[in-house]
Amino acid sequence: MDAFPSGNLCPVGGELQFISCEAYLRYRFVFSALRLDSMAVFNLKNREIECKVVYYGPGRCGKTTNLEYIHKAFKKQVSGEMVSIDTEGDRTLFFDFLPMELGKVRGCAVRVQLFTVPGQVQYSSTRKVVLRGVDGVVFVADSLEARREKNMLSLKDLQQNLKEFGTSIFKVPLVLQYNKRDLAEQGLPTMSIEKMERELNNQLKVPSFPASALKGKGVGATLQECLKLTLRDLQKQLKWAQ
Amino acid sequence: MDTKKQIQALFKEAELYRSHGLFVEAKAKYDNVAKLIQKNDRIANKQSLLDAISKKIGAVENEIKKFDKPPATPKMSTKAQDLVKNLFSFSEDKDEDAALLEGAMALAKFGQFERALIEFNELIKKDSLRVSAAKNIIRCHIALSSSDEAITKYRKWLSGDSFSSGQLEEIRIFFQDILDRKGIDKKLPAVTQPKDARKEEAREEDFLDISSIAITLGDESKKGALIELDVNFQRGNTISLIISRDDKDLIENLKVGFRLNNIQFFSPIAVFNGSGIVSEKAPIELGPKKGDYRVDIEIQNT
Repeated sequence: MDAFPSGNLCPVGGELQFISCEAYLRYRFVFSALRLDSMAVFNLKNREIECKVVYYGPGRCGKTTNLEYIHKAFKKQVSGEMVSIDTEGDRTLFFDFLPMELGKVRGCAVRVQLFTVPGQVQYSSTRKVVLRGVDGVVFVADSLEARREKNMLSLKDLQQNLKEFGTSIFKVPLVLQYNKRDLAEQGLPTMSIEKMERELNNQLKVPSFPASALKGKGVGATLQECLKLTLRDLQKQLKWAQ
Repeated sequence: MDTKKQIQALFKEAELYRSHGLFVEAKAKYDNVAKLIQKNDRIANKQSLLDAISKKIGAVENEIKKFDKPPATPKMSTKAQDLVKNLFSFSEDKDEDAALLEGAMALAKFGQFERALIEFNELIKKDSLRVSAAKNIIRCHIALSSSDEAITKYRKWLSGDSFSSGQLEEIRIFFQDILDRKGIDKKLPAVTQPKDARKEEAREEDFLDISSIAITLGDESKKGALIELDVNFQRGNTISLIISRDDKDLIENLKVGFRLNNIQFFSPIAVFNGSGIVSEKAPIELGPKKGDYRVDIEIQNT
C-alpha cells in the first residue's frame, strides 16, 4: 500500500482497510462510475476514489496557511500546484485548491481535492459554491480570545450552509482545528483548549487538534483524521461489502 | 500594572493584531492606548504620542474600510476560469449536459459573467439546456447591468424559431419578474401565438388532463418501489412535476433524456399506462419552492 511517507501520517491505514475495490465490484449495481450525493466519485474502471475536503472557518484563521503547509510538506502526495483563485492582499476572495493523491488502498487510487473557502462574512455565496458536494470538513478555529465570536459565527454559518445542501453538521465528517496556538508565546490572549472545546465542540463532539499552521504543527494530524472520517463515511454511504 | 506598562502592553497587542491582519482588533487596542494616554497628564510627550497613535488608527481604519467594501469581483485569468468550470461541474461523469450547465453556472456564481455568457451562448444550442441557458444569459446580463442587452436577446429569441411558444412564455415570465423586482420599468413583448397555434391547441385537447403519475425507478425486473407524483402543470403531452430537494435519489435518477418505460397516468376519468422521457430538469430558483426541482416529462406512448 502506498501511503504517506511519515509513519503517523497514513490516512488510509488501520481502520480503513475495509475499503476494498474487489468487494465493491461485487456490489449489486455495476456502474462504471458512481457518484454519491456528495462529491465523491468511485470510478471502478480506473479504480479511483475521489473526494472533496473543505477547510472552513472565519477570516484570517489560517485555512490557506494549512493548505500552504500541506503543499510544502507533503510533496509526494500533492499531485498538482496549489491554486489560489484571486486574493486581496493575503485574503482569499474565492478559494484555494490543492489536489492530492494518497496512493493506493487495495488497488484503488485515492484522490483528494482540498479547498478553502473565503472566511470573510461578505463572501457567503462563494462559500456555498465551494462547499457544495463536500465529503469532509476541517473547521479551523482561531485560538485568539479576540476571535471567539467569529469562530462561533463561522461554525453556525457552516451549519446553515450544510443544512441548505440537505446535510447536517452532525453527520458530515468533521474535524476541528484550534489554530494559532503559538500566538500565546507572543503575548496575545488566547483561549484554552478546554474553553474552545466547551464553546465549539460541546455538542458536536468531533475530533479536535491544537495547531499552529504557520509552523506546521497539528496540520498533518488534522488532515489525517479528516481523511479517515471522510473515507469511513463514504464506505458507509455505499454500504460497502464488509 | 502601572499605566506606562499597560500602555506598552496594549500597544504591543495592537501591533501584533495588525501584523496578523486583524485590523478591527488592532483598532480597538489602539483606541484603548489613546484613551489611557489621554487620561494620563504625567506623560511628557503626550501630544506626540497621541498623534502617532492617531496615525496608526487612521491606517487600520483604511484597511477595515477596504475589507468592509469588497472590491468589484475581480476577473479571473482564463486558466482560473477553466479550473472553476471543471471543478464545479459535479455531474461530469453522469450527465454531460448538466455538467456543462453547472460549469457555466459556477462561473456566473463566481462573478465571471462575461465568460459565463460565452458558455451559456454555446449551451443555448443544445435542446435540453436551451431554456436554462436562456435564463442564465438573462441573469448574466442583468448582473452586468446590461438589461437592454438582455431585452435585445429576448426579442431575438422571440423572432427566431429556436424556442417553442411555451418555452418563450416561461422565459418571458422569468425575465419580467426580474425586471419588476429590480424596478426596471420595461414590459417585455408577449409571446405571439404561432401560426399553427390552433393546431397545437387542438393537439393539446387530444391529451387528457393528468393529475398524477406513478413511476418505478431502477431495474424494473427488481420491482422497485412505486413512486407517486402530482402533476403541477401540463402542456399538451408534456407534464411538469415539482420534486422536493430532499428526494435526492429521485432527482438524481430523472436525468434529461431518461426514459421511463412504465408510467401509470391518473386522470379524473381514467387510469392508463404509457411511457415518457425526461425532457427537462431544472432547479427552482425563486419563491417558496426554491431549491426544489421542476422535472418535465414528455409523454411518448399511451
